[in-house]
Amino acid sequence: MIADEQTLARLMASSQQGDKQSYSVLLTEVQLWLERYFRRRCAPAQMDDLVQEVMMAVHKKRATYDPARPFLPWLAAIARYRWVDHLRKVYRSAEDALEDYDAPEDSEEEAVLARLSLDRMFGRIPAKQASAIEMVKIEGLSIREAATRTGQSESAVKVNIHRGLKKLSALIEKAE
Amino acid sequence: MNRVPNPLIEQMANELEPVRALRFRDGALLVGLAVIITVLGVELLDGIWRGIAAGEASPFFLIANGLLLVLGCASANSVIGMATPQVGNRHDGPGWAMAMAAVLPLAAFVTLLGHDHPVAALQDPYGLGCFASGMAASILTAGALILWLRRGAPVSPKLAGLHIGVAATALGSAAYGLACPIDTVSHLGLWHAAPVLAGAVIGMFALPPLLRW
Repeated sequence: MIADEQTLARLMASSQQGDKQSYSVLLTEVQLWLERYFRRRCAPAQMDDLVQEVMMAVHKKRATYDPARPFLPWLAAIARYRWVDHLRKVYRSAEDALEDYDAPEDSEEEAVLARLSLDRMFGRIPAKQASAIEMVKIEGLSIREAATRTGQSESAVKVNIHRGLKKLSALIEKAE
Repeated sequence: MNRVPNPLIEQMANELEPVRALRFRDGALLVGLAVIITVLGVELLDGIWRGIAAGEASPFFLIANGLLLVLGCASANSVIGMATPQVGNRHDGPGWAMAMAAVLPLAAFVTLLGHDHPVAALQDPYGLGCFASGMAASILTAGALILWLRRGAPVSPKLAGLHIGVAATALGSAAYGLACPIDTVSHLGLWHAAPVLAGAVIGMFALPPLLRW
């Protein structure tokens, strides 16, 4: 069970003063909290890396915690920042791969990983954009095949993918 | 359930050194100091307009520079707060202050519309000089705000960049405004407000790479 907010805030305040034992207990609790936080937000294979990354950010930026304020919203803000950063990298590599129509298999792994994060967001973008991203980035169809299947022009498919990824990125930026 | 101990936790705990928590007051002092030095620089280089103290300035001069000052303070307040992240932090205040300050260029345009020769009225020989001086007077405050956020942990670099740009140019333009004796609506509404727009654009697009961590 993860410690309550007051205990975490007290541990963090002690850690800022250099109390190593408090810090060790705090980081163990933080690790548990982060694992729960990222479980539904990223691919299982990436969870450990993200948790470690956020823990290092917590360590590096521990002076930015204000002991007069709650601890968990501070931790959540850092976790969310790292998560958005991670998704941006996934999207960027997905967008870069759009230029490489002849080798959709090369980006298949990234597309599957991207899907784990994107899946729940698909309902919040227009259907044409979601299906274009799904066909090209998830199923691995070429732009031409996706255009034939949807009856859209190739340019329209490319634009829908580009705009869809952009909207997804914006939705995640706004997510609390 | 027994968990495998994480070696990273042990390593970070061993490396732990005491740190001083970032305080809002420290950030406010840093920015305040930058603004004071800027005003002193304006006095040294151009000389503050003595007509202000003598009551010669038009009411619009006081309103325009006052609005820029309030906008700069509201945005700087948000930037200082961004160093300590929290989910649920809202930065709506500067948005309203920006809308309020937008009255300045709007008033200038409306005034020009009623002018017999609006294009001729736009030709202001001191306009570009005031714009450039306002931008130059923003540099120190921008530097202080960037430095502050690099010590902190801003979680919205684009928004932080926008607010830095607005805060620095609004405070810079208000500081330089103390040296400019031209107190017409068109001059203040266009050339003293323009640095804020430029600062917002520069801040939003050029600063985020400096603020990411």
